[in-house]
Amino acid sequence: MPDPDIPEIKRASLADDLLEALETPVLILDGNGALLRLNRAGEALTGYTLDEVTGRPIWEFLIADDEIETVRRQFLGCRAGNGPVNNTHFWIARDGRKRLMRCRHTAHRTDAGETGYVLVIATDITDQRVTEEKLTKSRSFLQSIIDASPVAVITINQEGIILSFSRQAEVTFGGKAEDVIGRNINILMPEPDRSRHDGYLGRYLETGEARIIGQARSLNAMRLNGEIFPAVLHVSEFQNGENIFVGFIEDVTDQRAAERQLSETQAQLHHTGRLGAMGEMATTIAHELNQPLTAASSLMGAAQLTLEKNTDERSARAIDLLEDSVSEIRRASDIIRQMRDFVRKRKTAPSLYDINQVVTEASTIALIGAEAEGISVTKNLQPDLPISMIDRIQIQQVVTNLIRNAIDAMTASAERHLTIATGYRDGMIEITVEDTGPGIDGAILPKLFEPFLTTKETGMGIGLSISKSIVDAHQGKLSAINKNTRGCIFTVSLPAGTRNGLSSQ
Amino acid sequence: MDYPVSKPIYLVDDDPAVQRGVAALLVAAEYAVTVFDSGDALLACMDELDFQQAIVLADVCMPGIQGLELQARLVAERPGARVIVMTAHGDVPMAVRAMRGGAVDFLEKPFSAREVTTALDRAFAIVPAASPAPVTVSPVCAANYGRLTPREREVLGEMIEGNTSKLIARNLGLSPRTVEVHRQKIMQKMQARSFAELVRMAVDLDLSR
Ligand SMILES: Nc1ncnc2c1ncn2[C@@H]1O[C@H](COP(=O)(O)OP(=O)(O)O)[C@@H](O)[C@H]1O
Ligand SMILES: [Mg+2]
Repeated sequence: MPDPDIPEIKRASLADDLLEALETPVLILDGNGALLRLNRAGEALTGYTLDEVTGRPIWEFLIADDEIETVRRQFLGCRAGNGPVNNTHFWIARDGRKRLMRCRHTAHRTDAGETGYVLVIATDITDQRVTEEKLTKSRSFLQSIIDASPVAVITINQEGIILSFSRQAEVTFGGKAEDVIGRNINILMPEPDRSRHDGYLGRYLETGEARIIGQARSLNAMRLNGEIFPAVLHVSEFQNGENIFVGFIEDVTDQRAAERQLSETQAQLHHTGRLGAMGEMATTIAHELNQPLTAASSLMGAAQLTLEKNTDERSARAIDLLEDSVSEIRRASDIIRQMRDFVRKRKTAPSLYDINQVVTEASTIALIGAEAEGISVTKNLQPDLPISMIDRIQIQQVVTNLIRNAIDAMTASAERHLTIATGYRDGMIEITVEDTGPGIDGAILPKLFEPFLTTKETGMGIGLSISKSIVDAHQGKLSAINKNTRGCIFTVSLPAGTRNGLSSQ
Repeated sequence: MDYPVSKPIYLVDDDPAVQRGVAALLVAAEYAVTVFDSGDALLACMDELDFQQAIVLADVCMPGIQGLELQARLVAERPGARVIVMTAHGDVPMAVRAMRGGAVDFLEKPFSAREVTTALDRAFAIVPAASPAPVTVSPVCAANYGRLTPREREVLGEMIEGNTSKLIARNLGLSPRTVEVHRQKIMQKMQARSFAELVRMAVDLDLSR
């Protein structure tokens, strides 16, 4: 036994043992890529045994078709003495499964100096890559959500420096992300917040006492051009080594404008409604008072004429007193008339209108809040109605009155359904308002349209009498019937295409 | 002076107090009064009534058939029927419509004894015609109207629409003061003793369109 051979053998078997003990797949190829060795870990991963594949170039069985060229070129470029070459490609295992491998190729010279073999140490990075991909995917997913958000999203660090600025933020504030990232968030606030914001942050970090985090807050924000606008801000916080704050900012300019307009319209409406009611009430009162005044002055006139048959001085004196009384009554009547004229300045202005539109406008107004009272509404507006010569405001007042009454009537009903309809019958346009209330009290039904008749605690009892007089003035008819089932129907019929009775003929 | 039968009045008003008061006044003035609750009530017994003799005194504002409609029906079915309508005080447009619809006169509620008797006597003076009387415009009235300036005529037109001085001023682009001055001039020139009389003249002159 040649003694010096022993360490040789030991070295070879040591290398062998090592190779087989490795959990990393290792391949040994010759200069042309033919497989010389495949360790156990390699066998396990690829599913091939060394015997099966010895002598075959690896791209014949291990490399995916579309990568063969690249892998081969890289392999052939890997020359002894030139340091290791790293590349990443897929291996196709025997059972067809793909694994992503990062391979480190090192060429080794033979004793003769040519490339003898290439050592390939492969790392399976399939799982790692999937995780990475998932991460990027979720990152861009998040980014796309942020960018799609109709709300501006801005992140800042604990010094208030802007870290990110979403697409909507660019739109809302009128500037590019690259121009604001790195600047203090306070450039997007008007005074006094602008100078105080650093202080807010500092205090929060010191005391941990949140003033704004976690709740929506209405405030003023400022665009980069200096324009101040109303906004709703929501701030969240997260830790990423340091405190990061995410702000969601919604520009509510339009919303505010719409709200303001709505409340203005409502206020105006109430005002108009009140004025209208006052005007009509004044007319009614004027009429109601004028009657007794007429009776009184007539009675005095009768007394005067009776006394005239006497010729004594006392009768003459009494006649004078009665004369004065009559002129006082006339004065009272004048005052009433002036009051009526004052409140009721609006002249009737009949014109041709589309009844459906008039009804729609009136009901929009009258139905404010109806939904909140649990009332469902059906509108059956017959299309292509003939137009009608009406005083729009007055007819709207009628419709509004009827709808309000219907809503009032249903407050105590289990079923609350309102139907507003228009139609055309016998040359008349009809507007009907139908409810599911208790119906009209039998006791008041015969006097329904008389003024000051009400069953409501806070009612004035003039709505229907006004409505009736308006409809009468239009040469129309206002009628009411109780349904066999619950509720009642009010019907307004108006002549189609004719003039208001109050206008000149 | 006692000719009660020759001076019958048909009073139509829905208000019991007004019925009583006006009837008392008319009786005291020695007219023969028949009272009707409504226009319908009067129309119901139209055949027994004598519209050649009587004057109808009807309220314009009543439930059921209204004064103007009653007047239109009467004038149509009983040509020559003389109707005086009672309007609310200051309701000029209504008065104008009534006059144009064939009423012989109008009375503004509340009224004095003199106003009623004057109006009624004037109405009794009209001879009931078999056909609707052609409007006779007094030559004096026409001549008076001829003396109004164009501006005064404009103001008069606005007045009989029932417009207030303020509104007239706005419509014509004048100051309310100027309108007041015009109004007084108009009353003088037309020799009208009251606004109601002016309205009557204007309707006779056919200015009210
Ligand atoms: N849709 C309805 N259902 C039942 N009753 C009604 C209805 N509409 C009106 N009424 C009755 O008619 C009365 C008079 O109505 P109105 O003249 O509008 O005055 P007000 O609403 O102020 O009471 C009401 O108080 C009510 O009793
Ligand atoms: Mg009501």
